[in-house]
Amino acid sequence: MNAPSTWDRIRDPSEKTLAVLLLAPAFLLLALIVVYPIGKLIWNSFHDLRLSGGTGAVKFIGIQNYIDVAHDKDFWNAAKNTLLFTVITVPGALVVGLGLAMLANLPFKRRWPVRLALLLPWALPLSFVGLIFAWFFHTEYGVVNDVARRLGNAHQTMWLLSPGYAFAAICFAIIWKTSSFMALILLAGLQMIPRTLYEAAEVDGASKWQQFWQITVPMLMPSIIVALIFRTITALQTFDIPVTMTHGGPGNATQTLAMLIHATTIDYLDVGYGSTLAVFMFALSLCVTAVYLRRIGRE
Amino acid sequence: MTRSTLAPNRRFLLATLALAATLTASVSALADTTLRVFSGGANQRPDLMRKLFDQYTAKNPGVKIDIETGGATSDLQRQYLSTVLNAKDSSIDVYMIDIVNPAQYFGAGWLEPLNAYVGEPAVALKPYLPVYASADVVGDKIAAMPAFADAMFMYYRKDLLEKYKLAEPKTWAELSAAAQKIQKGEGDPNLQGLSIQGAPIEGAVCTFLLPYWSQGKDFNDAAGKMTLDKPAAVKGMKEWLTLMDAGVVKKNIAEVKTPDTVNEFKAGQVVFAVNWGFAWDRFSQDKDSKVAGKVGVMPLPAMDGGKSATCVGGWQWAVSAFSKSKAEAAKLVKFMASPEASKYLAAQGSLLPTIQSVYTDPEVLKASPWFKDAANVVIAGRSRPQSERYGEVSDAIRTTTSAILARTKTPEEGVDEIEGRLKRVMR
Amino acid sequence: MSTRTLDLPAAKSLFASPFEGPGLRLIAAAMVVFNGFFPALWILLTSLKGEAELVSKPITYWPANATLHNYIQAFTDQPLLRYLGNSFWVALLATVSSLIVSALAAYAIARLNLKHRQLILTAIVASSMFPLVTLLVPIFETMRSLGLLNTYIALVLPYTVLNLPVCTLVLVSFFQSIPKDLENAAMIDGCTRMGALVRVVLPLAAPGVFTAGILAFVNSWDEFLLALSLNSSATMRTLPVGITLYQGEFTFPWPIISAALIVAIVPVAVLIAIFQERVVGGLTQGGLKG
Repeated sequence: MNAPSTWDRIRDPSEKTLAVLLLAPAFLLLALIVVYPIGKLIWNSFHDLRLSGGTGAVKFIGIQNYIDVAHDKDFWNAAKNTLLFTVITVPGALVVGLGLAMLANLPFKRRWPVRLALLLPWALPLSFVGLIFAWFFHTEYGVVNDVARRLGNAHQTMWLLSPGYAFAAICFAIIWKTSSFMALILLAGLQMIPRTLYEAAEVDGASKWQQFWQITVPMLMPSIIVALIFRTITALQTFDIPVTMTHGGPGNATQTLAMLIHATTIDYLDVGYGSTLAVFMFALSLCVTAVYLRRIGRE
Repeated sequence: MTRSTLAPNRRFLLATLALAATLTASVSALADTTLRVFSGGANQRPDLMRKLFDQYTAKNPGVKIDIETGGATSDLQRQYLSTVLNAKDSSIDVYMIDIVNPAQYFGAGWLEPLNAYVGEPAVALKPYLPVYASADVVGDKIAAMPAFADAMFMYYRKDLLEKYKLAEPKTWAELSAAAQKIQKGEGDPNLQGLSIQGAPIEGAVCTFLLPYWSQGKDFNDAAGKMTLDKPAAVKGMKEWLTLMDAGVVKKNIAEVKTPDTVNEFKAGQVVFAVNWGFAWDRFSQDKDSKVAGKVGVMPLPAMDGGKSATCVGGWQWAVSAFSKSKAEAAKLVKFMASPEASKYLAAQGSLLPTIQSVYTDPEVLKASPWFKDAANVVIAGRSRPQSERYGEVSDAIRTTTSAILARTKTPEEGVDEIEGRLKRVMR
Repeated sequence: MSTRTLDLPAAKSLFASPFEGPGLRLIAAAMVVFNGFFPALWILLTSLKGEAELVSKPITYWPANATLHNYIQAFTDQPLLRYLGNSFWVALLATVSSLIVSALAAYAIARLNLKHRQLILTAIVASSMFPLVTLLVPIFETMRSLGLLNTYIALVLPYTVLNLPVCTLVLVSFFQSIPKDLENAAMIDGCTRMGALVRVVLPLAAPGVFTAGILAFVNSWDEFLLALSLNSSATMRTLPVGITLYQGEFTFPWPIISAALIVAIVPVAVLIAIFQERVVGGLTQGGLKG
């Protein structure tokens, strides 16, 4: 037998070569676009790097930034808010998304209104979703208070001016926007479940709820995990909606980690400290999603 | 060929080459310099700036000017500029920046000092409004030159004051009494006595400083160190809360941004409104304005026993430190900051002049007669704290002020917080 | 198992949902439709109003004097069509690029026995765990040194990287759910691995591919920070950035901005309406035997 020629190796490569070829585009792009920025970011976090109002020089200060972050009450406040948003909106979006997906899956005569309604929240640019919902929750000009008034409730809640209500309003907006994302992924997953399983269960006399918990949920698990991973990562980076709805207010009550990073980097021009905060956010994201990732890798 | 016969040919060739090189050099020296100017959004009138640029290029044939508009608001601009200037980009030569930015941008090394091109501060800034001597100068370097000015005025419903035979209030207490009389008389539950900006926008810094300044207090000394008089600050914020309790200021004032005040006043829902200079044209000329012809403008009231004080706004021209044509850029900036340019902007766009003498120019007064009254207000106007770390200063003041107005913090707590945050920043 | 023809009552019970009865289902569906459409409807109505109407008390829903003036101004104040075109091309190119790159990577992760599978997966997902705002300056510098500022490529490349984690993971989970026997069968018949990927796996994972495609498209369509910094010239601006230019330091003309938003939403909505069938697939999913 002749040794395989290069052309043969390309046309029918060994596993190892194939792996390299398939992963190359992804890793080349990653190398080009994010490796240097992430490296620079980590490097920055070990330096005192203020563009303005500092000493002017870039000084190596070891882990001083990290120590400062650990003592920074703004950081802890933002971290607390971020985790709270995450804990509320991730399950929230999952539940709502699952409901939406299952509804969209039903055999209506005309399916497109439900499907379109499902995905339309996605079509609205994120930077304006916050502004629109801020309008909906506005004390005087908002639909929410108008409906409440028409239903007889004269008290006009100042939604965005009290920490608790503002939090709720922001969570509502986030769940509204992101449940489409979840629904989309779950819907595709639902399609992959063989209907024969349901038929068999039906024959065996299983109720709808039993079918749901014993067939739908387990079969949907891979999709659920994928949806959860990304919903969680983006929840930890919540920025656009709270910043346009309340600008972190009242006071700091709704300021998230991403908002703190944005302000530190762009408004305060403190690149060193901002980078340190970003590393903390990365560590947080990694910890939270590590469990999910392991499950996917295992299969 | 022998060497000797080559020599004349070679010399001829060299001579031709030298001539060609000289010609090319002199042609490229005559070639256009293209200056790229970063201008703001619609409120900074790029259309008028374009006309001024055309006037300039007519007088300076070797220069072409491109406008790049980006970032409609000060915040959006900073988002873009902080990336681009951080990367030391040389593609933009001249920037139009907010009046609060020179100290911070200069401290970041983004602006070219203009002393070499326009002169030393004492001389170069003399014709301009006094506020620019502190706003545009960092240390002893001129960081930017004024483009057009702005200030906060008190607009009011002349017709309503006349109807109830009330004089222009000189103190906040008088304003409160006048507003309440009108509100009770009109019997309209939607009529606000006074509209200010309580949302955590840049204007909220002014909302904090106005009652504070009018007690004769300073926020910082000439060196930039914070000199916050806490009791005075608390008293100032309590003034707003008192107006809220009296029903003069609406309870959700912490949701109100600049456009909201303008729209509500235009719709006839407000008696007194604090706003910037642009609002005058909106009130009197907008087609959907219900208050055209019924608007008066006056200096802001003072705290009891104090003096009226206002916040100065407006925009400045700066030369990028990374520009490849600094001299040309500086020359353009000098032109754009000149009395002629200021007069043009005032007459064509009702943009407040930066130079004192322009306020009394007959052409300008014909276009905007109200500038005669505006002059005193703007001349006495004060600049917000000039700090290399203005981002943090602004953030601390605006979010805390909004929280106090939203009643989630007491004035004492809020002022304590401002002091705590800014103590280290404004040293 | 015999193949059944689709009959509606039986089909209804196939999708074991807790929703009993057609009446309840219709109510639920109406709620979903309302939920999805209301904000867009609100924006549509606002785009027909004048700005003064927005401060009327009590608030109005239906415009008092409906006008198309805002749309005219939306198109004349800014080159809205140009922005639309830019966004469309960038999003399309980014989607194609994302799908190709992530499909290849996903196939490797799902099918090949990679030694460091976990690490590779984590590395791909980890890139999305840093807030973009902190990576802006180096990315800008990279694009500038490549001379790519103010081009479509300047955005397509980072968007591919931004979409990589989601698309790859979605495709991995879809590829994993397809039985290996099908590919093996194809390869025994003489197909190469790549051929098997293209001819067997991708068609079966079609819902996943279209899902990843829509995710990539909408993500790229929506993106703001990079578009603001990299494509700042007026001719290359994308829609999210362009829409912010209708406001001013002191003005926020909701009616005109709403008109621009409607112009921004409509193409995406149309695309979704067309492709939603593909995403969801039909009720009859071929090839998956019980």
